[in-house]
Amino acid sequence: METLSYFDCNVSIGRPAHGLIRPCPSAAELLAEMDRLGVERALVRHALMSEQSPAVGNPALAEAIADQPRLVGSWAILPPQTDELPPAPEFFRQMAAANVRALWAFAEQHRYLLDRFTFGGFLDEVAERRIPLLIPRDAGGPRPPDTWRMLTRLLEQYPDLTLILAHHGPWGEDRFFRPFLEHYPRFYLDISRYELDCGLRDLVARYGPERLLYGSHFPEHSMGGPRLMVARAEIDEEARQAIAGGNLERLLAEVML
Amino acid sequence: MIDSAIVREFLEAGRSASCPVVDLHAHYGHFGGIYMPNHTPEQMLATMERCGVERIVSAGHTALVDMVRGNAEIAEIAARHPGRWYAYLTYNPNYSDEGRQELERYEGRAAFVGLKFHPSHHTYPLTGEAYRPALEFAAARRLLVLTHTWGGSAYDRPELLEQVAQRYPEVDFLAGHSGHGQFEECMAVARRCANVYLELTAAYAVGGLIEEMVRQVGAHKIIFGCDLPWFDPHYAIGCVIMADISDEARRAILRDNALRLLMPRSRHEP
Repeated sequence: METLSYFDCNVSIGRPAHGLIRPCPSAAELLAEMDRLGVERALVRHALMSEQSPAVGNPALAEAIADQPRLVGSWAILPPQTDELPPAPEFFRQMAAANVRALWAFAEQHRYLLDRFTFGGFLDEVAERRIPLLIPRDAGGPRPPDTWRMLTRLLEQYPDLTLILAHHGPWGEDRFFRPFLEHYPRFYLDISRYELDCGLRDLVARYGPERLLYGSHFPEHSMGGPRLMVARAEIDEEARQAIAGGNLERLLAEVML
Repeated sequence: MIDSAIVREFLEAGRSASCPVVDLHAHYGHFGGIYMPNHTPEQMLATMERCGVERIVSAGHTALVDMVRGNAEIAEIAARHPGRWYAYLTYNPNYSDEGRQELERYEGRAAFVGLKFHPSHHTYPLTGEAYRPALEFAAARRLLVLTHTWGGSAYDRPELLEQVAQRYPEVDFLAGHSGHGQFEECMAVARRCANVYLELTAAYAVGGLIEEMVRQVGAHKIIFGCDLPWFDPHYAIGCVIMADISDEARRAILRDNALRLLMPRSRHEP
């Protein structure tokens, strides 16, 4: 019988404009799917955060997960120059109040440069507070190298950022992301689309399990694939628990708000 | 948690004694833009053992580039593993004269159960004249044809498959990737054409799609595949078994449908 505790680092709720085969509009529906698949906790975002605006989506997420102890929130950021989100001290205070412990950057979608030129000291503070910053693989543009080049620049400027690359896709990204695992100890990988046969075994053997996070990218993608892949990967039980939920638990516990 | 005997078996043992898997979309070897740590036939057989995959039908990556070299390779590999490893003969329409020779060279070889087309990779439309010799060959022998299909492709979008499937009703076509990105259109083609099946590689991951295929087309038209050695069979199997469908549908998709297509064409048993 399985005894692992799964903590999904990449799920969303809401009604994306492009439509989904099976959307997940509410926290209740998300929790029902988690129960069906045996997933204990999840780090959640709201579709409105990326598709409309963080100014709308962040509060919508906070409202949706209030009184849901199994769900931890994540919000999106915008450049400080346009004052669409509260200034840093107040922003972090609101995160704490809403049980939000991670951030997303949708740079391409929200049309900004994710770099020191734009974000200055804000991302220094994010790094100091050890708040994980999640980056979707299309954040730097539609082609895979666009985002990886953006991340090279970002991490050269902010080497202490806790950065999670989310849902990078199944078509072969190891040659892009392995150098980041090699150079940046706070670079993490959401394995929701890391479908490579024996990929987890290979990564754990080379880099250890500490920076691999179980995720599903639900509801765009199935929770079932990564769930069985992690459950049966050829790794030891300590590594399996770390990937299933221990690493994310540790990361979020480090956050200082 | 899902109440399913098959789900319990896979979670606890990594394989199902009651439902050994049959995969009709596999390859082997290195390929272009992807690093694959587990690409040799021996490594793939170990993965199959671990994941409870009883049989695969495979087309070599080499053959997608160099048909003559690759078909020779896979003929040899499959011959070593009767009842376990079956082969597609890869046909490249850009070399149709050599393609005809390949069809003749391997006719009657026990391990070959069908043809593999990859119109997008070969940048040649599935409906093009150079595919005709291979399709006539397949029709005359009632072979399987696994063809790559991709949404919006000028070479193999679902509408093109429908035209060819209607022209050759004797051939059973597997729509590789189920027309990824044009799933609705591909499901419609599978509904209209009795000889078109939805093959799941990469499509399985799309949230809710398997449930929708079962609802719109029926579990009997869905075929399991995972592009091994690209994708971990457990990832693909997890998407199927944890979909909100019955155990009967799980078994049809993972095993029964493939055996129904494979066994009448097989003379490759140990």
